[in-house]
Amino acid sequence: MNGRVRLLTSLAWRNVRRQARRSSLTAAAMIVGLALLMFSRSLAEGAHEDWIDAGVRLGSGHISVQSPEFRDRATIEHRISPRQIEQIQEALSADIIAAEVTATAPRITVRGLASSAAGARPVVIMGVDPELESAFSNLGDKLAEGRYLQPGDRLHAYIGTALASRLRLRLGSRLVLTAQDADGEITGQLARVAGIFESGIPTVDEGLIHIPLTTAQEWLAAEGELTTFAIVLRSSKSVASTFESIVSRLANSSGLSVLSWHETMPELDGAVRVDDFGDMIFHGILLSIVALAIVNTVLMSVLYRVREFGVLRALGLSQVQTGSVVFIEGLILTISSGFAGMILGISLTMLFFHDGLDFSFLFDSELTMAGIVIDPIIIPTFTTSLILNSVAFITLIGVLSSFYPALHAARVDIAESMKFEA
Amino acid sequence: MTHNTDTSVKTEGVWKIFQTDGLSIEAVRDVSLVIGAGEFVVLAGPSGSGKTTLLNLLGGLSHPTKGRVWIADTDITDMSERELARMRLERIGFVFQAYNLLPVLSAKENAEFPLLLRGVAEEERERLVSELFEKIGIGGLEHRRPSKLSGGQQQRVAVARAVIGKPALVLADEPTANLDREASRALLDLMVTLNRDLGVTFVFATHDNELMERAGRLIHLVDGEISSDNKQVLR
Ligand SMILES: Nc1ncnc2c1ncn2[C@@H]1O[C@H](COP(=O)(O)OP(=O)(O)O)[C@@H](O)[C@H]1O
Ligand SMILES: [Mg+2]
Repeated sequence: MNGRVRLLTSLAWRNVRRQARRSSLTAAAMIVGLALLMFSRSLAEGAHEDWIDAGVRLGSGHISVQSPEFRDRATIEHRISPRQIEQIQEALSADIIAAEVTATAPRITVRGLASSAAGARPVVIMGVDPELESAFSNLGDKLAEGRYLQPGDRLHAYIGTALASRLRLRLGSRLVLTAQDADGEITGQLARVAGIFESGIPTVDEGLIHIPLTTAQEWLAAEGELTTFAIVLRSSKSVASTFESIVSRLANSSGLSVLSWHETMPELDGAVRVDDFGDMIFHGILLSIVALAIVNTVLMSVLYRVREFGVLRALGLSQVQTGSVVFIEGLILTISSGFAGMILGISLTMLFFHDGLDFSFLFDSELTMAGIVIDPIIIPTFTTSLILNSVAFITLIGVLSSFYPALHAARVDIAESMKFEA
Repeated sequence: MTHNTDTSVKTEGVWKIFQTDGLSIEAVRDVSLVIGAGEFVVLAGPSGSGKTTLLNLLGGLSHPTKGRVWIADTDITDMSERELARMRLERIGFVFQAYNLLPVLSAKENAEFPLLLRGVAEEERERLVSELFEKIGIGGLEHRRPSKLSGGQQQRVAVARAVIGKPALVLADEPTANLDREASRALLDLMVTLNRDLGVTFVFATHDNELMERAGRLIHLVDGEISSDNKQVLR
């Protein structure tokens, strides 16, 4: 039996080689298709990683730890105690987690009012650790004037351009922040503008203020406490596993809820999904065209060799064995050219675009989506899952597009196929 | 049921009726015959008389509309495609009019194909092929592709492939139709020799009068029916 499989395979292999022209046509379709697929998938992966990274840095990280009620009602009432902060930090110190974490940000986030002589605006006030926060969020890089918060700052505030113009604030101007404190009292805090940023996102530029964490804790009567502990990982790909690890390590600490960016940033999550879905349709169409091209060439070669299949059957090959020859031919063609296309796609993409593709020519101003600014430079990214998926795709196309021609060959009517047109 | 191992192939009241466009064509009509092991039979008849259709029935390439067919003592009438394939592999050799050979295989690989399918060991295959190629007069051509062989040489390789597995029956459907007179004679000589020396049973369809005279037994087919069936002395 093994010998027969070898015989049929060697026959198929020689048939592929004999029909070099037809084979190379099929191979070309597959190579171009796969190369395009690899290129476009790597761009999508790279773009999504950018979106997610930008989004989670401005938001509450790939993963955040909060009090369970904070998610529904983001008030200072629902806090994390110093003991719980210790538990979180201990959980994060585990090797498998620490290896994935690139930045953490302890924060107190409250809604309040910012007022100046010119008026008052509703704002989100974030008490942040200047050092940790500047490694975490990219807000410090969006500086328009002045500077970002620094360690040792007390009454300094970092505000957006839109808020500055609404409240007619300049560097060094004073403003009063008002919010409810931990005891439920409305209290005010004086601050001075140390820096002004322009993120490009209207809601952020209009309504976000960073102040030193210690100032916020004192002001809001929440000494040593936080509302959110935010975590950024090396890559969004490791969110699922790291999330699980953190959850299991915090299982014994009551009153803590671990959230992933999928939950804290549903709009961003939705945007990535929609984009992935669009890609899926595009790739589906691309691959269907490739598959049709393959079915077509393999089928043509079958129709043209009907007599050969008649001979094989007369020699005693069963229908299954006869079909197998064609099936193996199809697999050899699609799988070898599929891998060639995949490797070509990866190497060309990495050769020419390893520094990223600049799409800024497409937009005249900054492009925002789901509340984040999109980086117009996309660095193509190849992930293991992308490559595994592509291998599965190639095999699937190979199997699907070889099956019909194989069926056709298996069903050849021997008597008919051996007839001579006199 | 017959249990006569001296029978190579046998039919009883075999019909093949084709239905095309509401027209039914009786290509083979009520044919009953017994061909013994070691016979050399020429199936003669004009074009369209049903020679090919009858050979296909004898070789299990198609099913009879009515009647029964035995190969040796095995009734193949109701065999499945799978069983027929196995039966062909083990008991029947075919030589067609032309394009018998697989173009991607060398002469030797074509000839040994049935042995490969049966899992015969390499040494044994080597021996059988080289012996046969010598006998058939194509020694030295083992490694040529069919496209590099003459029509007569190709048919010799096809005959080698048909007889190499010592089948119960070799069916040859106008194997000389595409050959010139000389090559036709030579191919027929070869088959007669193989029949005489190795006892291979041949059923050989032709409408060539000269070739008919060489038959040990001549069966005439007219409109799908046997019109005469005569043993004659081999010359
Ligand atoms: N598949 C078929 N469908 C319809 N008619 C057929 C078919 N095969 C053969 N015939 C008819 O059967 C008759 C016998 O054909 P065939 O056996 O090929 O004759 P021969 O081989 O003696 O020339 C012819 O009339 C032919 O047209
Ligand atoms: Mg015929």
